[in-house]
Amino acid sequence: MKKTNFKVLIYILVINILIIPFFLVSKGYSTVEEIDSKIGESPVIDGSIDHSSREWNKAAREEKLLGDLSIILRVLQDDENLYVSIQFDLEVEYHSLSEFIGLIISNSSSEDKEEFIDAKIIQFSNISKNEFIYSDYYIDNGDFLNDTNVDGDGAAKLDEKISTYEFSIPIKASTTNEQDAALDFGNTYAFNITYGETPIYKSGVKKSTIILINIKSTTTSVIPFTNLTVLIICIVIFSILGILYCYYFYKIFRLKGNIKRIKR
Amino acid sequence: MSKIPKQPEKKKKSKEKRQSDEEFAYKSVLISAILGCIFYIISIFFNIEIISVFMNINIFWTFIDISLKVIIILLFFLFMTTSIGNYKELIGKPLSWKELLLLIVLSIGQTILNPLVFVFTLFGLIIILIYLYVVQEM
Repeated sequence: MKKTNFKVLIYILVINILIIPFFLVSKGYSTVEEIDSKIGESPVIDGSIDHSSREWNKAAREEKLLGDLSIILRVLQDDENLYVSIQFDLEVEYHSLSEFIGLIISNSSSEDKEEFIDAKIIQFSNISKNEFIYSDYYIDNGDFLNDTNVDGDGAAKLDEKISTYEFSIPIKASTTNEQDAALDFGNTYAFNITYGETPIYKSGVKKSTIILINIKSTTTSVIPFTNLTVLIICIVIFSILGILYCYYFYKIFRLKGNIKRIKR
Repeated sequence: MSKIPKQPEKKKKSKEKRQSDEEFAYKSVLISAILGCIFYIISIFFNIEIISVFMNINIFWTFIDISLKVIIILLFFLFMTTSIGNYKELIGKPLSWKELLLLIVLSIGQTILNPLVFVFTLFGLIIILIYLYVVQEM
């Protein structure tokens, strides 16, 4: 191989690797407060994440601090719902019998108190028996009032030390009324994740943190096309490799014949 | 004693040595190609995400998942470079930059589904290329 060609090749690769981190860094800073929802298959809202069936596999995953409690947050969406999962690891003796996780949702990306009008709460009634209640509230002047219609779904489970809370919240639901935050595709909403140990809202909230969730504008009918294209390119590359392999093995066996002939 | 009878013996020895070298090189071509093929098949399972049990569980498993994918591709590249290099040597030609570039493109192509695997594979390939260049120079 010519020395100059090799050098040019090395320079191109080095330049590439120097440029790529700049894109990664800029994205890294933006994900501290904001989470871009990912599109994927709807998970089963049962309070557990089944990794063997790739549940939550395509979700945006962030590790965040809820006060001093480290949580794993997963955000996923499909054509109809936004799915949020919160998971944390806590020694059994630190779990309260009536622990809860709530999502207090703003009507926009604003973090003003008045904008947080909707609350979805999964409240354990007895955590040792995994008994819970999913509730939907609307907030009026700081008071939590029961919604006429319970929108969305939620489930929670304590498995040894790990608590898993799963929420399903409708996006652009036809039943949306003034009691719920009107989530829409392509918009950003502020979510206040709250943790508490007594079922009194809002005074029972012990820890909370606000995050912004960007709901993608594209729906599942569009995105799989992109995913499919990438997958097809990937399959084409592997197929080309397979064909080249067959050809290469053919050449190797022909070479063996040639060597034998030369020996004779 | 005359030295004349010794010459055919020397020639025979050198011929035998050359044949033995060729056989060794041929074995190296074949074994490296088979190993490259094994890593190519493993790569299909991991990089097309047929096996995705390690993905998105926590940082540790994500790290294991990315490391496995990158190592598999780099081993594929390393074995295939060795195999093609020896093959070329057997037919009396040097390994050209076109073949090396094709191998790089096909290795990078396997990472298309995961940007992190792409970045780390690219980094690994650069290190391997620098290593091969230094070895060649020596």
